Amino acid sequence: MAGIYIHIPFCKQKCTYCDFTSYPKRLNEAEAYIACLYKEIKLRSNELKQKSFDTIYFGGGTPSIIKPEYIAGAIKQLKNMYNIDVNSEITLELNPGTVDKEKIDIYKNCGINRFSIGLQSGQNYHLQRLNRIHNTQDFINVCNLLKGENISCDILIGLQDQTQEEINDTIDLAIKGNVSHISMYALKPEEGTPIFSNYLNGDLPSNDEVADFYETAVKYLDDKGFKRYEVSNFCKDNKYSKHNLNYWKRGEYIGFGIAACSFIDKKRFTNTRDFDDYLKCIISNRFPVVDNEEVTEDEAEFEYIMLALRTSFGIVLKEFESIFKTDFLKKYENIIKKQANYLEISENRVIIKPEYLFIQNNIIIEFLK
Amino acid sequence: MSKSSKYLRNFCIIAHIDHGKSTLADRLMELTGQVSKRDMEEQLLDSMDIERERGITIKLTPVRMFYTAKDGKEYILNLIDTPGHVDFTYEVSRSLAACEGAVLVVDASQGIEAQTLANVYLALDSNLEILPVINKIDLPSAQPEVVRKEIEDVIGLDAKNAPLVSAKEGLNIETILEQIVELVPPPDGDTEKPLKALIFDSFYDNYKGVMCFVRVVDGTVKEGTRIKTFRSNKEFEVTEVGVFNPKLFPKAFLEAGEVGYIAASIKSIQDTTVGDTITGVLNPAEKPLAGYKKAQPVVFSGIFPLDGSKFNDLKDALLKLQLNDASLSFEPDSSIALGFGFRCGFLGLLHMEIIQERIEREFDLDIVTTAPSVSYKIHKTDKTEFIVVNPSHLPDPSDIDFMEEPIVSASIYSPPQYVGAIMELCQDKRGIYLDMTYLDAQRVKLSYKLPLNEIIYDFFDNLKSRTKGYASFDYEITGYEKSDLVKLDMLLNNDICDALSLICHKEKAYARGREIAEKLKEVIPRQMFEIPIQAIIGGKVIARETVKAMRKDVLAKCYGGDISRKRKLLEKQKEGKKKMRNIGSVQIPSEAFMSILKTNK
Repeated sequence: MAGIYIHIPFCKQKCTYCDFTSYPKRLNEAEAYIACLYKEIKLRSNELKQKSFDTIYFGGGTPSIIKPEYIAGAIKQLKNMYNIDVNSEITLELNPGTVDKEKIDIYKNCGINRFSIGLQSGQNYHLQRLNRIHNTQDFINVCNLLKGENISCDILIGLQDQTQEEINDTIDLAIKGNVSHISMYALKPEEGTPIFSNYLNGDLPSNDEVADFYETAVKYLDDKGFKRYEVSNFCKDNKYSKHNLNYWKRGEYIGFGIAACSFIDKKRFTNTRDFDDYLKCIISNRFPVVDNEEVTEDEAEFEYIMLALRTSFGIVLKEFESIFKTDFLKKYENIIKKQANYLEISENRVIIKPEYLFIQNNIIIEFLK
Repeated sequence: MSKSSKYLRNFCIIAHIDHGKSTLADRLMELTGQVSKRDMEEQLLDSMDIERERGITIKLTPVRMFYTAKDGKEYILNLIDTPGHVDFTYEVSRSLAACEGAVLVVDASQGIEAQTLANVYLALDSNLEILPVINKIDLPSAQPEVVRKEIEDVIGLDAKNAPLVSAKEGLNIETILEQIVELVPPPDGDTEKPLKALIFDSFYDNYKGVMCFVRVVDGTVKEGTRIKTFRSNKEFEVTEVGVFNPKLFPKAFLEAGEVGYIAASIKSIQDTTVGDTITGVLNPAEKPLAGYKKAQPVVFSGIFPLDGSKFNDLKDALLKLQLNDASLSFEPDSSIALGFGFRCGFLGLLHMEIIQERIEREFDLDIVTTAPSVSYKIHKTDKTEFIVVNPSHLPDPSDIDFMEEPIVSASIYSPPQYVGAIMELCQDKRGIYLDMTYLDAQRVKLSYKLPLNEIIYDFFDNLKSRTKGYASFDYEITGYEKSDLVKLDMLLNNDICDALSLICHKEKAYARGREIAEKLKEVIPRQMFEIPIQAIIGGKVIARETVKAMRKDVLAKCYGGDISRKRKLLEKQKEGKKKMRNIGSVQIPSEAFMSILKTNK
């Protein structure tokens, strides 16, 4: 089954590290955008009527900043026009500073059954420095409002002046909020963002220091019951992100909205990042696609390997065989032998040893011709 | 128009770089009705882009000017341009041989400088009439009278009639022409005597073959004349003769006293050495004209093709460059890392840079240049001896009795105030002081014994910069002498990297080893494991660096929109990896590896 992604490009203000497509100054145009979004969903419905979907993901920007009715409307539109499995996982990203009880109720009622909260740090001074609009108390409040729900949160490692203790405290805060899933990212300063200047200035911890912090945090999470199932994703009680798992299993997905990416029938395509172009295209009944690529057999095989090795499930040999009609261990015998130190091979799967997950690029490129 | 040599004047302009020689040449040409030489240059010398870019003249093209003097007679003035840069003294001396006079240009604000002196000595040695000219008097900082006195004191030339000019403004240029007519002697030479023509330059034309620039000393030559050269004794039939205006301008004949060119379908440059004499087959001259001392290379480097299969292309390129540049020398060389190539000799660093650029540009070859090497003589314990250039050919240290290195006897000429700096340099280069004599009040000659491997790269450059350009040197290889030589090896992750091994003197080995280890640490990218770098001599580690293992290279996020990008990134990384060299278990990017082997300055 495939996944659906919806992009909500609105924010109150930009965080210092953000290089996502978001337009803090155009929140007043949300209605127009949503209208186009509904239309785009309709426009694609015909060509996708043979597909079945079992995850929907609202990402952004800050999906929780717009009227909750818009989110509800989108889910309704999707359920009308597409084959949406009744047990679908529907995720909404939210910012702790943008929701109240009323909003949460509407979300729950319209079918959202997973909430991904942008925590980032358990220390207010970090949050302020990052230009976040919430504080740690807001996080706790939201978690209370979401009691009993399936909650995930994001944590950032590698902030200026961050200590190992602060990281542990952040994890503890997340646990206090009762999350069952944590995405923990090593900060990557992107050119064009304010934090990049900090990076150039030497304010941020070095790559090696970040690697140390991360390694320790992984262990801390493990001690608290959060198992690493992907490079940056941890959960307990098998509460994986189904939507993301679909990506790592190289499943199909369709993306709606600005900058959204899709992978359907061997083709990868992306929507425009430009707000106005998006509206113009949809209004004139055109797909706002800017990039288009048909993935070759070899590329597909490599993508599969590249994605699978990010996870703790790894390359499931039977699955590989059924998709690519090839015996993985045989075809890549020499490469596997050369990399023997870094791989763990069992009779049904091949994974990268946990201690090498963070330096896996060098291992993975060996599988390329 | 009279053809008698009475009305001929052959002269050149010599000066320090930037003192206004080219501008003055332009003015002279304008005054005599020629278009500015620079405009003409385009057509004649397409291949000299590099020189034009750098704003320096290297190639000589004679120019023929007609001037009606104050006495009412028309004179033919042949101007031969000379390069001002320190590397090209050889070119200067060639053009001097074709002249009777030299206009010495001195900048009124700078006065006499190193190259001025060097060229003046050359001119004096060639018995030319020297006409000093003081240029750039338009500058506010000009001090013409001071410079006039300097000319008299430092060179010993009578400068009381030296005209004060501004080539830029066109002031007083006519006086120079008058003085040339008046003071430069007409060429002496007899048109009746057997043909004798000195080849002072040549270039290769695809259709006409080797074009010889000649100064006809005696006799005449025209289309159809059968000629031969003294050195090669080969015979040719002249297809065309002519002069330069400054383009090639064919004429019916050339006679004694004239400067021009001869084309004779000569296919190979080997048949026409610069400095050689052309004479007639039917009525040959008895003796050739005095030739040149072969230009001595002072800077060497190894040149290798980046792509090993292009060795022959490199050889062709060097041969073709040698056609128009007799001072370029080369011999085969080989290295483990780079395969087959050449050890090349140049007149200086600028010369080397220009040749390298020309190979890359004109012949479209990617090359690697390396620090040059010399050959050592190894004496084994079993009493056999042999020559080694490649460090990897050294036998086991226990089989070596002793080693010898080539030594030169060097003569360094300089004004006395730089003697201290020169002695320091020579000492640093393991030199042994032999002697010091005063040639005159302004010139000291220092004699030193120096190891060849210490002077083949940057010694010349160092010498020039320590003496503000005033020193010059020549040397002679005297033979091999016993020396404390060692083999320096580099270990990467405990594997020897043959390509980086070298033979050097014990005194220098520690510093070299440390330098290479540090450089390796900079260029080797971090890998999945820690890499120890070691420099060893005779099994002993003398320098050590470490490249730490990589800690993080993965993309933190890989969601729907990241997949294609990540795949492309990895594909690119893989391409990059293919271009890496494997030294044992360590991977180094090709460029980085080359940078270690390269000459570093």
